[in-house]
Amino acid sequence: MSYSISELITITFKADTLGIVFSVFFAFIFILVGTAAKEYMEHEGGVKRFYVCFFLTLIMLELLCYAGNFFTFYLFFEAMTFVSMPMVMHEGTHESVMAALKYLFYSVGGAFLTLFGFFLFVSKGYELVFTAGGSTGDMPLNGIELAAAFLMILGFGTKAGMFPMHGWLPTAHPVAPSPASAVLSGVITKAGVFGIIRCIYYVIGCERLKGTWVQSAFLILTLITVFMGSMMAYSENVLKKRLAYSTVSQVSYVLFGLALMNRVAFLGAVLHVFFHSLVKDMLFLSAGAIIMKSGCKNVSDLSGIGRRMPVTMWCFTLCSVTLIGIPPTSAFMSKWYLGVGSLESGIPVIRWLGPVILLISALLTAGYLLTVSLDSFFGKDRSGEDKIGDPGFFYRLSMLILTALSVALGIFPGHLSGIIESIADAVIR
Amino acid sequence: MSVNSLHIFIPDLCGLGLSFNIGGLGLVMAIISTYMWIQTSLFSVEYMKHAAKKPRYFFFLVLTYISTTLVFLSDDVYTTFVFFEIMSIASYVCVIHDEKEKTLRAGGVYLAVAVIGGLVTLMGIFLLKDLVGNLSYETLRDMCEAVLHGGNTSKIRQLYIAAGCILFGFGAKAGMFPLHIWLPMAHPVAPAPASALLSGIITKTGIFGILLLAVRVLPNDSGFGDVLCLLGVITMLLGGLLGIFSMDIKRTLACSSMSQLGMIILGCGMIELLGEENAIAVRGTILHMVNHSNLKLVLFMAAGVIVMNLHKLDLNEIRGYGRKKTALKCVFLSGAIGIGGIPLFNGYVSKTLLHEAVVEYMMHLHDAQRAGLFKAVELLFLLTGGMTVCYMLKLFICVFVESNTDKKLQDEYDKGRKYMSPLTGAVLFVSAFVLPAFGILPFLTLNRIADVSEGSLYGGALEHAVNYFSLENLKGGLISIVIGVLLYVVFVRKLLMIKNSDGDLVYIDRWPKKLDLLTLVYEPVLLVILPAVFGFICRAADFLLDGLILFLRQTTHSQLRERKRIPEGYLRAYYLGTITNKLEDLCRSFLGKGKRKNNYIHILAGKQFVLRESHRVINASSAFSFLMFAVGIIAVVIYLLLA
Repeated sequence: MSYSISELITITFKADTLGIVFSVFFAFIFILVGTAAKEYMEHEGGVKRFYVCFFLTLIMLELLCYAGNFFTFYLFFEAMTFVSMPMVMHEGTHESVMAALKYLFYSVGGAFLTLFGFFLFVSKGYELVFTAGGSTGDMPLNGIELAAAFLMILGFGTKAGMFPMHGWLPTAHPVAPSPASAVLSGVITKAGVFGIIRCIYYVIGCERLKGTWVQSAFLILTLITVFMGSMMAYSENVLKKRLAYSTVSQVSYVLFGLALMNRVAFLGAVLHVFFHSLVKDMLFLSAGAIIMKSGCKNVSDLSGIGRRMPVTMWCFTLCSVTLIGIPPTSAFMSKWYLGVGSLESGIPVIRWLGPVILLISALLTAGYLLTVSLDSFFGKDRSGEDKIGDPGFFYRLSMLILTALSVALGIFPGHLSGIIESIADAVIR
Repeated sequence: MSVNSLHIFIPDLCGLGLSFNIGGLGLVMAIISTYMWIQTSLFSVEYMKHAAKKPRYFFFLVLTYISTTLVFLSDDVYTTFVFFEIMSIASYVCVIHDEKEKTLRAGGVYLAVAVIGGLVTLMGIFLLKDLVGNLSYETLRDMCEAVLHGGNTSKIRQLYIAAGCILFGFGAKAGMFPLHIWLPMAHPVAPAPASALLSGIITKTGIFGILLLAVRVLPNDSGFGDVLCLLGVITMLLGGLLGIFSMDIKRTLACSSMSQLGMIILGCGMIELLGEENAIAVRGTILHMVNHSNLKLVLFMAAGVIVMNLHKLDLNEIRGYGRKKTALKCVFLSGAIGIGGIPLFNGYVSKTLLHEAVVEYMMHLHDAQRAGLFKAVELLFLLTGGMTVCYMLKLFICVFVESNTDKKLQDEYDKGRKYMSPLTGAVLFVSAFVLPAFGILPFLTLNRIADVSEGSLYGGALEHAVNYFSLENLKGGLISIVIGVLLYVVFVRKLLMIKNSDGDLVYIDRWPKKLDLLTLVYEPVLLVILPAVFGFICRAADFLLDGLILFLRQTTHSQLRERKRIPEGYLRAYYLGTITNKLEDLCRSFLGKGKRKNNYIHILAGKQFVLRESHRVINASSAFSFLMFAVGIIAVVIYLLLA
């Protein structure tokens, strides 16, 4: 399906496996979070306003998944930023408006970087249609094209929270309502990842980037982000900010896998997109439940809360274990593929440094998440007066589904990894 | 590989598929695991009668059991690792069951060691997988040998690094120095059945992993063998020493576990060093694993009976508890004799084999210096045996022979109240019965176990059957006993006991509190120094772009440029104050510390005002002084002129 705006610019939609998998997954997450959001937003106020933006964001995401060329993708990518921004400033306080503006400026600024590549390749007569393996020729890239490719990666990397453009994440997440943070962190950052996949594997072609400075720079940036994110999360006291930094770190696991540009790492990266999304949505929902029921925002206030909100904290604990990557949970699978893929890639130093940093980061993940859940179950109960309990049925249901999936997909990943392997076969020759 | 084994492969489960091999050493250990789990579960019925959250305890006990058993039955490194990790996490919940502060701290250390160990192991497995591709145990040995003899130095180096990483994780679980810290902490606080499982079977999964390295990843590698021997010797000596000093019955048993595991690790080292002729070492290692499991089951459950009744662990408090309790006394005594390596009990058999292995290696050596070194190892082995006898004597005499210093308490203890249910008694007796049965009939029992399982470890053929009760071997056992009794009489009675105000001998803790690897090294490094250094670097990185934007907004891209009125006469205060304000803002946003409280312009202006005032005063007063001075001089001059 395509419309022509001008000779060079057409809007095209196409459904390929990658897009279908991502769109189904995004919709699934949105439905679950949306179910839970009702209770939270009724508590917070402004239900209608929130749901309008929430589902507009979903529509943009879905259109983005089915975009057939770069221009269409860019269009909906920007639109998604604009419709998701109101969710950040939902509270309407000065702080939240400033955070929303920061989110807007970072995202738009990042997206502008990608335009450079678009203009460069369009001027050479390519249409930038998404084709597995690349659509801009087979010639080795020259200097300016490499620079353009790097800017495109950096630009989409902004949305995915890659250093040095990750600044919006820890600012926007704590002020947004929890369901909004959940989708921001779990889904919208993944749109950035999706953009990078399209960019590397569908526009430029990974064979042409392999071994260039772009790949090395990309790898180094992702590794810095992985370490920095978890270290910052480790020293952060505000729960939602901690989770935001955790997202910074975890999404860069995915980017690291994409930057390695081999089959195993690609498989690990795309699996981690799904697993991290499930886990992080669940973690933000539980943070939301805690805020909604007890008003505690700081980690240090949470001790003993697990006894009063058992379902929430059990889900939190299981998801923490998953995110650390303890088998047989799902994120262990993706980490396994990332580690093996990294060693297989044969890039000097980074081949072993990558897994080392991933594992150190996993250790820090244990340090910043497991301590929370242990403290919440075994710590001293602070006040026994106010009635704090688990959230309502639908809220619990979506938390339970997310948790169950994030654990079970590690034990039975067969079908999902089969689909992704077929994608990997198509894009990596 | 043993011929009679059943291989099972479940594809797609957990990604790579899980494979199991039912046979050989794995099966033997799985059976022991099952046996121990049944015994401890039955024991738990009475022990946990009054505990809260029973469903949680039993759920995680079952999970621990299943995962432990599957670790032993696994047939590739991946499967081993998956269940090893599940076991670590599940057993944590059993350890911290009573949720007291001390328990949680010990549990935290246990969990931290487990998580760090697991991640380091995972790195090792990544490296190994990269080298050999297929992680199945059937092909691993051949592939690793191919790498070792392939001559590619970078690959050989990678194999050693991989082995080191894997050793770290499994060694941590096996209580190997310097990762033993969790062992003496976690055991005393865990419920007794969990301690028995932890010590008896979970630590053995660590040994299982070390054996995997010794016979499959680096087969017959003398360098790695030396490392294992060294670590084993340090572990067993340190464990023995800590055990003698300990003041807590379960802590003593935990240290004893550490010591015995050190012996087993030494055995693993001997398997490496002996190469083709390692049959004795293989059998000794396997049998000591089996025996130690059974022994610790008995000892921890016996200790559990005491804890269950008294809820106390301190030796001075439980002293004399067992004087009139014959059944408990017999059970504990059989465990103590067994672990002390006294003939006709099971521990003797495996210790003899391990001793033989060291002696045999010594005889093979031509290098005099190295032979001397291993002579020292042999002596240290016997010394450790002596230490075992010593701390077991200490426990036994304390609890079952001496009477308490508090007479009333002793009367209370001797009243002959019912102290365990028939079920618990039966469990204890069955467990204790195994020990002499294995020890008296080693040819019928232990030898068969060794025969079945040695194939899994590629043990060479046994040159001659070992006669456990020959004079030569009995001598080794005897030396240990003599050393042990001497140590007890000289060291424990004289140094570790003092007379209290009533003139009674009481036990005291002479271990220097500061000498603790955890508080001395690990905690400062891992919790203070590293986070501070890297935290600072990461904060700087995190602030990079935000800081740049902030800087631009303040300077070139300033949007709100209002004309500021500079107060007349306070120019210096204004500029200096503005700079200080900005500096503090920057520092605060960088360190993440809220808003600035004071405005330096005001402070400085105030200061400047004061300064100016005093200036004026000084000027005025000095002018007046000068005036008076001048008047004085004029007066003097006039006086001089007139005079």
